[in-house]
Amino acid sequence: MSQSLRPYLQCVRSSVTAALCLSNFASQTSERHNVPEIEAQTSPEVLLTPLVIARNENEKVLIEPSVNSVRISIKIKQADEIENILVHKFTRFLTQRAEAFFILRRKPIKVSPTRSRLGYDISFLITNFHTEEMLKHKLVDFIIQFMEEVDKEISEMKLFLNARARFVAESFLTPVSLRKLPRRYDAKRFSSLIKGKRTQLVEDCNGARPLFKHFINIQDTNI
Amino acid sequence: MLLLDYQNVLIQSVLTERFSGAPPAHIDQTVSDFDGVTFHISTPETKTQILVSLQIRCFKELVQYGAEDVLQREYGQYVVPPETGYDFSVLIDLENLPADKDERDELIKKISLLKRNAMAAPFEHAYAEYYKLKEAASKYTTEEAPQGVREGGEVMAIHYRDEEAIYVKASHDRVTVIFSTIFREETDRVFGKVFIQEFVDARRRAIQNAPQVLFRNDPPLELQGVPGVATASDGEVGYVTFVLFPRHLTPQRMPDVISHIQTFRDYFHYHIKASKAYIHSRMRRRTADFLQVLRRARPENEEKERKTASGRTFRVQGA
Repeated sequence: MSQSLRPYLQCVRSSVTAALCLSNFASQTSERHNVPEIEAQTSPEVLLTPLVIARNENEKVLIEPSVNSVRISIKIKQADEIENILVHKFTRFLTQRAEAFFILRRKPIKVSPTRSRLGYDISFLITNFHTEEMLKHKLVDFIIQFMEEVDKEISEMKLFLNARARFVAESFLTPVSLRKLPRRYDAKRFSSLIKGKRTQLVEDCNGARPLFKHFINIQDTNI
Repeated sequence: MLLLDYQNVLIQSVLTERFSGAPPAHIDQTVSDFDGVTFHISTPETKTQILVSLQIRCFKELVQYGAEDVLQREYGQYVVPPETGYDFSVLIDLENLPADKDERDELIKKISLLKRNAMAAPFEHAYAEYYKLKEAASKYTTEEAPQGVREGGEVMAIHYRDEEAIYVKASHDRVTVIFSTIFREETDRVFGKVFIQEFVDARRRAIQNAPQVLFRNDPPLELQGVPGVATASDGEVGYVTFVLFPRHLTPQRMPDVISHIQTFRDYFHYHIKASKAYIHSRMRRRTADFLQVLRRARPENEEKERKTASGRTFRVQGA
């Protein structure tokens, strides 16, 4: 875990724990209703001050507490177009299964008119019924673990995509580039290719040019 | 299976079965291939005469670039007038097969490569044109070459899919093959970009003598003035250019290079789809992990009253 991630998660953990102090609270505006006040937003006196914890401008958490519910929205790090797509796909995948997740909101919160809560990717809604049924500290654990793993997962998927693309491109171009075209490429040759041990392949290309081969090896170490 | 096969596997297996000496049977089978190509294998008259027909979207264009000659050369004695609704047909008489096993296998291979051979015409044309231009150019230095030689041949367009096309152009020192390709959705576009970047970089990094690959969203300069080139500016259309250098253009390498480059579009999109599928299954697994964590938040169920098979219960004394 990196240097700045630990205090960030620690801060989120204690803030969420503090916010999860919920009690049953019937609606003040309509009789015999009991709704999450943070969603209804009908009586201002039961809403508490929302809180933003930001690690940097791309990663932050918005915690909106109220008397009987807490809404937690997470902005997941997205450095480029690929991560953007992956985050979008992943959050959509999760929200489509919101039923199974109990505390997951079907949609991330809307962009507010002041644009102060722009671009949160996923939101959780924890009500007093959840805290009554489930263990509070385990719920907090879940949120923290989610934040930890989602970043890891996104970067792993990105790495996978790049590795696969490289492998695919090289395997397509190799048969066109070799002087003599072997009938079939066996997996072993390709795996040596992707691991960066290209000497075998270079030998195939130019049998009698040791200098060139040496040059390739130097290049490899530079990469 | 990393690389796509050049031949149609279904035709190959049907013919192999028929050629193996099994009793002749009635066949009526429609076979699909990439790029909307359809084959029809049938025995219209007798069970021993197999008619294989090919329907391809851009056949008219291919004929323009000499497809008839190529197909005549490949299939010679087997060619028959095309079946209605199809563009090209070959008829094989099971009673008149080559006696030798290897020759029979060769014939099967040849027929399953029907699509490849039909599509090969413009490429072969480009190769021939390249040899001619090279010959012509060798008489001049670069500066004083006449207009025609310096610029190279005309651009041959093959509209092999509804909105996608291959453009082939020969010059005196290279053959340029341009694929226009459409990305239907944002994810495909982004994934495609990652993949194509690796194609572009492969030459610099690993395979020094690979063909040069270029990618851009607007039509490359070679396609200026070619009718029907899509100029969508929303990044949906991409142009992938392969520049084949003289080392790829030797006559002995021609058949392999042509077969291989034809599969590019399908190979490219196939791997984009495969990555998407992998990422999807990965997300599914990760979601299951998250659910597991959340399930831990639920306290253990209180112990229910347990019963024996006959329905009696035990009670702890003093509880």
